[in-house]
Amino acid sequence: MPEYAVFLIMVAVFVAAAAVLKWPIGLCLMGAAVAGALAGGEGLPLRHLVEGSFGFFDVMLIILTAVLFMKVLQASGALDSLAAVLLRVFHRRKALLLLTANLLVMFPGMITGSSTASVLTSGPLVAPVLMKLGLTPLRTGAFIAMAAVLGMIAPPINILVMIMGGGVDMPYVGVTLPLLVIVVPLAVVIPLWIGFRHVKVVDAEEMKAILPPSVYGTYGLKLYLPLLAVIGLMIGERALVRVMPDPGIPGIFLAGSLLGAVCGRRFNFWKVSRRAVEEAMPILTILAGVGMFIQVMTLTGARGWIVMTFLSLPGALLYVAIALGMPVFGGISAFGASSILGVPFILALISKNALITATALSAIVGLGDLIPPAALAGRFAGQVVGERSFTRILRYCLVPALAILAWAIAILLNASFLDRFI
Amino acid sequence: MKTSRTSLLTAAGLLVLGAAAAFLAGRSFLSMRAAEAIHPAPGLTRQALLSDYFPALAGTPGDTDVYVFEGPEAGGTVLVTGGAHPNEPAGFIAAVVLVENLRALRGRVVVIPRANASGFTCNDPQEANPQRFTVPSRSGPRQFRLGSRLSNPVHQWPDPTLYENPAGQMLSASEVRNLNRCYPGRPRGYLTERTAFGIMEVIRRERVDLGIDLHESAPEYPVINAIVFHDDSAELAALAQMSLQDEGLDFRLEASPQNLRGLSHREWGDAAGIKALLIETPNPVQGRLKGRTTAALVVEGKDKAYLKAARLGRLFVPYDEKGIPLEERVARHLAAISAILRSQAEVDPAKAVEVEGLPGRAGILEDGLGPFLR
Repeated sequence: MPEYAVFLIMVAVFVAAAAVLKWPIGLCLMGAAVAGALAGGEGLPLRHLVEGSFGFFDVMLIILTAVLFMKVLQASGALDSLAAVLLRVFHRRKALLLLTANLLVMFPGMITGSSTASVLTSGPLVAPVLMKLGLTPLRTGAFIAMAAVLGMIAPPINILVMIMGGGVDMPYVGVTLPLLVIVVPLAVVIPLWIGFRHVKVVDAEEMKAILPPSVYGTYGLKLYLPLLAVIGLMIGERALVRVMPDPGIPGIFLAGSLLGAVCGRRFNFWKVSRRAVEEAMPILTILAGVGMFIQVMTLTGARGWIVMTFLSLPGALLYVAIALGMPVFGGISAFGASSILGVPFILALISKNALITATALSAIVGLGDLIPPAALAGRFAGQVVGERSFTRILRYCLVPALAILAWAIAILLNASFLDRFI
Repeated sequence: MKTSRTSLLTAAGLLVLGAAAAFLAGRSFLSMRAAEAIHPAPGLTRQALLSDYFPALAGTPGDTDVYVFEGPEAGGTVLVTGGAHPNEPAGFIAAVVLVENLRALRGRVVVIPRANASGFTCNDPQEANPQRFTVPSRSGPRQFRLGSRLSNPVHQWPDPTLYENPAGQMLSASEVRNLNRCYPGRPRGYLTERTAFGIMEVIRRERVDLGIDLHESAPEYPVINAIVFHDDSAELAALAQMSLQDEGLDFRLEASPQNLRGLSHREWGDAAGIKALLIETPNPVQGRLKGRTTAALVVEGKDKAYLKAARLGRLFVPYDEKGIPLEERVARHLAAISAILRSQAEVDPAKAVEVEGLPGRAGILEDGLGPFLR
């Protein structure tokens, strides 16, 4: 069976299982992978299904521990207390509030290269503040999701560029300036576009009325110790790379969670852990299913067919393929798309400065974290603001995402010009 | 009550299914730990383990065989490593062919066919590579493992968030398991760093003069059919290239970039002061453009996706319907080694290494690899 037919069967089975049978998305992806393997004449390739799913094992651990950390901060009262502090400081300065909130959400992504870390670490801090000041949950979710994507792209750590650089033997050196060129204008425009007209300025009386209950008075600075420990360890593993043993992101979140159990309001850690696992499970199964899906696409040649179809496009259409293909494939896995599509695209644009090409491509593929089936940033932003349907949040991400896409494509098209300055 | 019992039964059923899948897949993964036999030629003078040079590797998955061929006449010492990336089979098989056919006449040849032994025990997730491929030999078909570019995460886990390698370069996390990013190694570092350190110990203790690291790269990658040379080996590489051109073999020369650290062609030269070269041949199963992933693709190198890519001018090597078979890639490696040894004799006669039994390219292309594998 031709590769394109295998791919179409996989997509059809996925859509049918999701839309008609209403299976969980992870199971739909697994079903599509099994169907693709059968259609491709590979039988039931158990080893490939398991091996593919293990491609995201480390990411799954990060997500699981990050969700636990978020739940612990909620249960200990740290989140409400921090939101109260932010409200007191920023209730009169909405532009400054939006830009600071954006930077706060971006920060964990900037130092870990993961949008999930951003959404689940500082997302829960700023969400209640924005909502108390009048931003709807949907807009707040979009605000957090977009900031997380920008954090993932922003320097100093952009894993997407690292992955693409690894594929073309380009060292991760000199990336800060091109990444700043991409991110800084967007990090100013996007939060203001989403929030400026909707966040209201409140006076002191109003502010007091909407303040969430703070337990800071009872526990003092100890309450914020888990958050400070997580931020400190994230910075420390970067700044003290030769001195400090690397605990890994899951280790950091786990340490923060355990600390949270003794640093604030008392709660049942076992129950909170179970709730965290329940909340994380759907995305974990999606990642396992995505891994199987990619492995079977590779096994049957469907992956090569897709890559070659994009690379076959002439001239200007190559940029269309980049603009469409990278985010869509990034919806399966941004890191996977960086390697599978990013590297061939850099080679296809080899006459341009590879550093600028890679940084612009990273901005485009980063948008994959907003696109189903995985849509990591969108899904977790939904959890943070209590919105069950993450697709409703994504509607508010559309214009900012198009802005990122347009800016990155403009940089790609003008890479030769920018090369003189970077 | 009924619903609760049904849920329990469903959960139990799923758990049993999960356990069965784990058992069957686990058995398949564990089968990769059985190393294929290598049958050394009578000319072998000494066989050792990497842990004989760096005892901290004893009993670890990083330990690996080291074969030494010593000639009756004094000369130089050359180190050949294959399998630094176990998903690049031509470098591995070329090293095996060396071990199974070589006799040193002058100087010494040290061969490490499975430089990253841990990487041979797993595959790269989402690359869908076969676990093994079959090559004919004198005694019938022989199976070899097609491993992972990286060390097995079961042997070395978790990866750090970011990896600063021993040469001070910042890399993405998984590169901590890439042997050819871990030189010159760390004696108390990660397993892959310790393996790299062990190979540096071989270089130091065997007083190696010249190191040749055998690799492959994807046909769409620019550094291909190439000799990558350390700054101190430029003359040697240029002479070898000319010699290969005389044989009708095109090899491009690539200088080892000063700012790309942790690779053999950079650190062997900088840290141990030897001449350091790396050879690349094209490997279709390694690329991102590859079509259906099968054991036949590993051996025959025929792929319609790459054929299309070649027609579109997306490749850096000639590619047609005949593909780029494993035997042709192995023959290129062996021809390059032969040319480098000849050139070494010209550049530094006191450190010359002469060997016999090295299969010629024409012989391999005519008869295949079978006659040269025991």
